[in-house]
Amino acid sequence: MALLTPFSKVPELNTATVLLVENEEELQSKLANALVQYKKDFNVNVRLARKLPLPVENKETRPRIDLIVFVVNLLSERSLQSVESSLAHLHSDCFLGKVCFLVTDARCGSHTQERLVSVRKLAASHQCPVLCAEHRTVDGVNAAAVRLLNILKVSAGMSPIATTALYLSSLTRCSVTSDLEED
Amino acid sequence: MDALATSILNRIIRRIPNKNIESLLKKWNCLSADQLRALDYTRPKWMIVEHIVSFCEENRLNLKHITTLEMIYHIENPNQGTWHACQLAEAQDDAVCVELTQFKEQFKAHLHGVIRHISIKMKKHEDEAIWIRIAWGDNFSKPNHLKPTYVVHHLHTSYVFISNLMVKHKIFLCQALVIATKHGYIKDGHLSTRSLTAMRDLLLRHYQQVFPNEHSRIPQERNTLSSHPCIGKEHGDHEEMRHQMSCEAFGHSPSPKLETAVYRLETRYRGNGNNTLSDREEFFRGVVRFSSSSLLDSLRHCVASGMAEGPVTPLLSAIIQRGRNYFVITDKSPGVSSQASAQRA
Repeated sequence: MALLTPFSKVPELNTATVLLVENEEELQSKLANALVQYKKDFNVNVRLARKLPLPVENKETRPRIDLIVFVVNLLSERSLQSVESSLAHLHSDCFLGKVCFLVTDARCGSHTQERLVSVRKLAASHQCPVLCAEHRTVDGVNAAAVRLLNILKVSAGMSPIATTALYLSSLTRCSVTSDLEED
Repeated sequence: MDALATSILNRIIRRIPNKNIESLLKKWNCLSADQLRALDYTRPKWMIVEHIVSFCEENRLNLKHITTLEMIYHIENPNQGTWHACQLAEAQDDAVCVELTQFKEQFKAHLHGVIRHISIKMKKHEDEAIWIRIAWGDNFSKPNHLKPTYVVHHLHTSYVFISNLMVKHKIFLCQALVIATKHGYIKDGHLSTRSLTAMRDLLLRHYQQVFPNEHSRIPQERNTLSSHPCIGKEHGDHEEMRHQMSCEAFGHSPSPKLETAVYRLETRYRGNGNNTLSDREEFFRGVVRFSSSSLLDSLRHCVASGMAEGPVTPLLSAIIQRGRNYFVITDKSPGVSSQASAQRA
């Protein structure tokens, strides 16, 4: 099974690539636009996918991926299931600071709370951070893009202070507190 | 003007928003220019109706003129009520030579021959459609102008669109149509919608069809968003293929606006969960009904966005390919487990 590995390619100069994986393909295009248009001092390439594994045909042309973001829409059960099945296609090296979860609609209704708990447990077991985003307004999308850019900068090794992705992830990883575990 | 004409006029004027009344009256061409100018459309509706009634009495208009107004109103606003499609079959050799005057004469002659009191009005619209308004009476009572039947037919096509027809009059209308268009028989088209334009576009193929093609793909409308060179799509090919498949099955946007599709099932239950329902001899009867404000657009979006897995089942693509939205699905042969197939009822 072809796994997505983080270190199998050579990085490009002053460039970072982020892979947005979303089953519904709605937020990812807006987020991609916000990411490339935001004023920053390094180049950002964005790859959009529905799920993993990625098509083999693109393997040669695909640049090295520095950050993989799984976008989960908490209103849809299928979104979470698709992310769970995609996680199996990642090499374990990726989980050292190169994977991040982005959830939307975390405040709408009761089913979303249960799914949020499942996402947090999933993220905690893989040592990854969880970001909550509001995707219906332009400001919300821009705010999510800025947060992703901060994480991306560290994962691509471009942070001026010697912060590595592994160190950042150990600070930002999702932790499941005991009251959640009692549910 | 008698009470019947006044009530019909009342009904028409009440339905239209005030700003459209003027254009309708102009098309009607029965009121003089002075009278039209004198009407004030900012008044409440009942005042406008009273004015129009008084003008009609001045001009000595009668029921015939009012029914013409009603017909013009329906021609301008065809998408109300429920329309049903019927199909003429077995065209005789001289069916293509039927002309408008010949059609009119034969149609009227037949209906006047079988029913003593009937009122038929025919009008040819500029898009080659013949509109027929029929107010049915019987051998003893006058025609009922409050519940007229409307029929639309494009000459030399095999489709007829009917609205508001009662069952007891159906046989007379069908006979008249068959004789006037020189066909063998007429059958039910299994298509009913609220919108006449959608029905006409669907059956006469006025929508943008997409044919299966090895090479060319349709350009998607969403291309503008991802044209930034730094954004790349991993599953771009799959997306295009899904879009092509969905447009082949349901037409390119905008598609004719159907509201429902109904599938009546007369098949055997074949699930493996429930022991009491499966392995029975008799059929499991059910009705599956899809409803939407624009059904074909919704189905196309489901397939194009990947929510529904392709390839599109022929049961759904038959809506647009066979031009019907009522299907009866039966098992092919009793007792043998085989695929269900859609048949004409």
